Amino acid sequence: MNTMIEDETLDRQLREAAPYIDDDGFTARVMAKLPAARREPRWLRAMVLLGLTVLGSGLAYLLSGGGRFVREGMVQLANFPVWLLLVFAFGCGLVVGAFAVIFAIRKTPEARDLARLRF
Amino acid sequence: MELTDADLIARVLGDDDQHAFGELVRRHQSSVRGLLRQLTRTDMALADDLGQETFLRAYKNIRSFRGEARFSTWLYRIAYNCFREDARRRKELVGVDEEQLQAEHDPQTVDPGLRHDLMHALSLLPLHERTAVVLCCQNGLSHDEAARVLDIPLGTVKTNVLRGREKLKRTLAAWGPN
Repeated sequence: MNTMIEDETLDRQLREAAPYIDDDGFTARVMAKLPAARREPRWLRAMVLLGLTVLGSGLAYLLSGGGRFVREGMVQLANFPVWLLLVFAFGCGLVVGAFAVIFAIRKTPEARDLARLRF
Repeated sequence: MELTDADLIARVLGDDDQHAFGELVRRHQSSVRGLLRQLTRTDMALADDLGQETFLRAYKNIRSFRGEARFSTWLYRIAYNCFREDARRRKELVGVDEEQLQAEHDPQTVDPGLRHDLMHALSLLPLHERTAVVLCCQNGLSHDEAARVLDIPLGTVKTNVLRGREKLKRTLAAWGPN
């Protein structure tokens, strides 16, 4: 009596023994039960978002006295020494770059796995 | 060129493309229903009901699929959760549990005509071993993937696969020609 069946042989037999199950209308039944698809297209959502942003900006401009604070801010910046502006710009770049890297890692499984590696 | 699962998922996410989701269902229905048939001990009607529930849940929650695992692995996890919830409901309703079902399928009472049926031998394993064997040996998931699907420790999966395999070998050997 052969009592020694190899793992690989057993796995292969299990895979071969599992029949492919014909669809037989299964997919159609699932599709019939799906909730209705979203009607509004993506561009419409983008336009609504853009419109609200423009409207908000316009309101802020009008309520702040025609953008007076922006002009004053520019004048103040113009009085800063050049090296300070450079440091400020470099700092802003670092912060934005760090956020971009974090966002990219969160969105990319391969990069996330790489970040988890221990050396 | 055939679209990958990732392409189809992107279409579902971006444009709510139900045809793309239909293609995903067509691709994975056999393996998901096969897993559920093993879990429900070949109760095909129940397995298909759970299969439908699995794909409906997948559609509603597809935004939570982050691409960390294969889409099929994610589907197996949903299917397994559907099965567990249904089993819990049944247990509460009629008081039938896994041990009782196991006793009903005692290997000593097996019809001799089914002795060489590997799938039948598989159905005799306890649920936790059967599930691990079906996922790892039949569907080719790694132990790590199966642990994620079943939400149990990796070591437990390895033990269940090992024990399941050993029992299958013993059963098949005992059924073999003397």
